[in-house]
Amino acid sequence: MKVPLVSIKIDNRQAAHVPGETLSGEYQIDAVEAAELDAIELSVLWYSEGKGDEDLGVHHFERRTDEDEDPTPLTELRKFSVTLPNSPLSYEGVLIKLRWCVRVRVFLKSGRNHFAELPFRLGTAPEGRLVAPPLETVEEPSPAAVTDGAARGGVD
Amino acid sequence: MYGKKRGHRRTGSRTWGSLGEALFFGFFLVLGSLFLAGLLNMLVVPEWRVNHEFIETQGTVLMTRLGEPEDHEPDDEPADDAPPLYRPEVLIEYRAGGKTYQEKTYDIHFHSDRAFTADRDAQAEALAAFEEGEKIAVWYDPADPQTVVVVRGYTWLLWILLLLPVAFILIGGVGLVLTLFHWGKSIEHRVATTQMASRLNPLKEAKQGGVEFPFVPQDSNLTNSPGTRLKYRLPIDLSRGWRLVAILAACLFWNSIVAVFAVIAVNSHLAGRPEWLLTLFVLPFAAVGLAIIYFFVREVLVVTAVGPTQLEISDHPLRPGGRYHAYVSQGGRLTINSLDLSLVCDEVATYRQGTDTRTEQACVYSQPLLHRQQVELLPQAAFEEQLDVEIPAECMHSFKADHNEVRWRLLVRGDIAGWPPFERSFPVVVVPLLAGNQP
Repeated sequence: MKVPLVSIKIDNRQAAHVPGETLSGEYQIDAVEAAELDAIELSVLWYSEGKGDEDLGVHHFERRTDEDEDPTPLTELRKFSVTLPNSPLSYEGVLIKLRWCVRVRVFLKSGRNHFAELPFRLGTAPEGRLVAPPLETVEEPSPAAVTDGAARGGVD
Repeated sequence: MYGKKRGHRRTGSRTWGSLGEALFFGFFLVLGSLFLAGLLNMLVVPEWRVNHEFIETQGTVLMTRLGEPEDHEPDDEPADDAPPLYRPEVLIEYRAGGKTYQEKTYDIHFHSDRAFTADRDAQAEALAAFEEGEKIAVWYDPADPQTVVVVRGYTWLLWILLLLPVAFILIGGVGLVLTLFHWGKSIEHRVATTQMASRLNPLKEAKQGGVEFPFVPQDSNLTNSPGTRLKYRLPIDLSRGWRLVAILAACLFWNSIVAVFAVIAVNSHLAGRPEWLLTLFVLPFAAVGLAIIYFFVREVLVVTAVGPTQLEISDHPLRPGGRYHAYVSQGGRLTINSLDLSLVCDEVATYRQGTDTRTEQACVYSQPLLHRQQVELLPQAAFEEQLDVEIPAECMHSFKADHNEVRWRLLVRGDIAGWPPFERSFPVVVVPLLAGNQP
């Protein structure tokens, strides 16, 4: 089974991007033929991690399919450019972590889909620290936290 | 249905999840449709036909009487404790299609069990409208002239039953359509579609915050009341009031059940035949009931005995690094050991654990703004004080999504001798600091 290789790059990558700034970059799919691809989705989104159930907000979403009028093969390098919103800012709290990323999801004609994402930081909100006992027991921060700068991916 | 993320993976398969959702909503849809079809067949169609398709003719009342179910089905012995049931029966003679018929009838539900009720007087009163030998209008079914009625109309009370299958069909149908609409779509695609729909729905705008600050709660509800000293009078957080309502509901529910058993137990003692087992069984439950009553009364006293707290602020929304004036007023007629005002930021996380929904809260910022001891409150002289509130320059802004929230508030806390402490919370919104919106 072929697994697509997804490359994502953010131009002018910084430790923290400023709200209102234009985030630009490019992505490319390798290791599979264009004919094997059904669709590609690019999202600039935030999601929560931590104690609560996951929340997710999509700031920018675009989907390309092999049926689009655009003759460019889905595997080719594709640029993107997005104006970042004013909120929510990236946050590393006690119960809540808010993370931003560029996510590319690849849908194969076989029915499977794979995704890869590149995290980035929006804003410079300080880390949240417990200053008074919570009403209930507080769990340690999730060990699954993603380190900024490291791309990750998965299969659905 | 979004699976809970565990690190890089979600638990469960999305395809199976979608299939489960489709089956769940499909079950509701099928159940509602079958129920509706049954009601239509049993109630709506017969009544509609009687009123629109049955042919009117003249008939003669030969006999009237109150019928009982045993008359028709002698094999069905009624239960010993079941009350006797009655229905009005009118024996009529009429002509239809050149033939003369004699039929026992009343309305279109005459042959169903619903025709019988225990209200003998009501049935007798219905029957009194007919006299033997009287010529009356009757309506017969052109497709089956033996089906005839002497009373037409609609049973509106039963028509309310239609709301039940309609609700099932709506829940099932909408759920199924949404499930099929989302089928095969990525979570990002689903959320993007939902957000787009929410933006078009003005009622849902508050959920995602405003356009300028997405997922920051909007402050329109906090700035619609002008203050007497400062620009805005902040509304109090009503969650404590809802808590009181919840305690009252629990108190009523628990104690009404316990009361039934307690009355039986007490009566047994009064009658000289004490039910000791029941008495011992009821005692711990009664003790819990009394504890709930005590807790409820205590909460009511805390809420009502301490006078109103007012909080006003010079500007809103608040910005990191901003300095604002606040005015606090505490009414009442008692002496408070200590009165505190703090600026607090909490993280609130909601999660499902099995079938329960749990909420956890962690305080990540607390700044004392005011501390006064031995505050004497008099009816004609409330405690009043104006002070400055400074929002930290580096802080997380207010944030609200479905399951996670960063909540800023001004918290008034009072300590009264011999009473539980009282807390009153006034939500505020802190927006992110942007270039150009420095305070």
